[in-house]
Amino acid sequence: MEEKLTREEVLHVANLARIKLSEEEIEKYQVELKKLLNDVEKINEVEGYDDDILIACWDRNTELREDTEGEMLDPKQVVENAPHHTGNYIEVPVVIGESEGA
Amino acid sequence: MKYLNKGIEEIHELLKSKKIKPIDLVEEAFENIESHKELNAYITLNKEEAIQRAKELEDKEVDNLLFGLPIAVKDNIVTKGLRTTCGSHILEPFIPVYDATIVEKIKEKNMIIIGKTNMDEFAMGSSSRTSYFGAPKNPWNPTKITGGSSGGSAATIAARDVLFAIGSDTGGSIRQPASYTGIVGMKPTYGRISRYGLVAFASSLDQMGPMTKNVYENAVLLNALVGKDDKDLTSADREEEDFTRFIGKDIKGMKIAVPNFLMGDIVSEEVKEKIHDTIALLEKNGAIVDRVDVKYLENAMTLYQIIAMGEASSNLARFDGIRYGFQAENVKNIEDIYLETRAQGFGEEVKRRIMVGSYLLSGENAKVYYHKALSIRDDMRKEFKKVFENYDLIIGPTTVTTAYDLTDPMDDPRKSFMDDVLVIPVNMAGLPGMNIPVGFSKDHMPIGMQIIGNSFEEAKIYQLGSFIEKELNLDLVPGGEK
Repeated sequence: MEEKLTREEVLHVANLARIKLSEEEIEKYQVELKKLLNDVEKINEVEGYDDDILIACWDRNTELREDTEGEMLDPKQVVENAPHHTGNYIEVPVVIGESEGA
Repeated sequence: MKYLNKGIEEIHELLKSKKIKPIDLVEEAFENIESHKELNAYITLNKEEAIQRAKELEDKEVDNLLFGLPIAVKDNIVTKGLRTTCGSHILEPFIPVYDATIVEKIKEKNMIIIGKTNMDEFAMGSSSRTSYFGAPKNPWNPTKITGGSSGGSAATIAARDVLFAIGSDTGGSIRQPASYTGIVGMKPTYGRISRYGLVAFASSLDQMGPMTKNVYENAVLLNALVGKDDKDLTSADREEEDFTRFIGKDIKGMKIAVPNFLMGDIVSEEVKEKIHDTIALLEKNGAIVDRVDVKYLENAMTLYQIIAMGEASSNLARFDGIRYGFQAENVKNIEDIYLETRAQGFGEEVKRRIMVGSYLLSGENAKVYYHKALSIRDDMRKEFKKVFENYDLIIGPTTVTTAYDLTDPMDDPRKSFMDDVLVIPVNMAGLPGMNIPVGFSKDHMPIGMQIIGNSFEEAKIYQLGSFIEKELNLDLVPGGEK
């Protein structure tokens, strides 16, 4: 039988990634994600490496840029890309429910 | 009269002597693209602005080799006022409000952006078939893939639509499609080119680079793109250099390493044969070529899966349907906007990768997988550095086979990683690497070789690449030029 993740495992990773899945997708990803996870398990077979890590290929010092005033993007232009906006603001549904209020 | 199949120096002279104008080149580029429409190399064309720009340039002095020349830009690089989709439904309506640093540099040289090229969705894929806008096709045979993820950039160069294209390479996405389409594609050293304005996929691996029909033009374009940028703190502050400076020099005494892993059983006989022929050519001309073992190369794909998927899951968290791009309709609650927008906005390959990536970075897993991958990655880089203590360059095939059929199944989630097994190690170690065409298969599909250099030694790569190019003198125009 084909190896697969449980339904709950798929729903867990989908929730971590904030993706809603259809029933059909859940079944498909039970198999497909398992294949990828089997691949990454191979890292545990690697031996002989030391403890140093390489976060990025960067062997120079990190220099911060100077804290100076620069040009700012026009907020009106920026919010143009938001699906819903008014003036300089991005519109979103109510985030804090009444029950959570003081 | 056609100009865009000529060398840039000849075109430069024509522009300088006013025998042609930038508008002639722009019009020719759009005619070429129109005549190759079936290749689906572009997601968005920049016609109106390009024509306007070309006309503006008529009054300006032709002051550099790149002046007035058309260029295509991969669609994951932001261009002010010009739609940038990353090949994804979720960014289908997105119009950037600023230019990427690389785009600013292109504009400083008065090059003309012709359009945004097709690509795998968020650069995740190896065949460009994960594009929401349909796959681009290979100019050598339209039933074959272009490779990916910079498939549109590769196709438009191979078809000789334009002179220059920009690609991005996180795990081979410049070099692999360059190999499949018979062009020159360079992934420079990590840090060479500012990543500001490149929509991030895996930030510790991403790097943009030039894709061109020949080595010289590649080096000329790279000259214009590099440099320290305050907006990308990983961009390198290096002394200015001319990447063309070793082109034309002989290769006598050059020491070249061929890692055994790159010539292993996974590589098809046909590809290996061309690499062997090229090695013989180099030896005949005085280069010293040795086979070497480079530890951890066989683990590169696993490291890549962990690092690239992990970083992607974090980078793509920003696509929430609130601030830009597509938003799912008929959803009221904010949590559902995220869930539905991402469900409808991302394609399968992207969903798979960010789900696995989120898992790999969650809680204790970050230590078990991601941290371990960074540790092995460090050792792999040290192994490469050891090789470069004794050798100038590393070579090997770019891909295990030539381009396969567009209709080949896409149901194996591992396939897109396996296609890039030979090109991934370079990104892990931040090294520069370039594809150079070295021949054709029996069915006349291009075969490519990758040349890998030590950090910041792109000029040496161009030296060897131009030597091979000159010696082989291949006819690299689909349909034939000679």
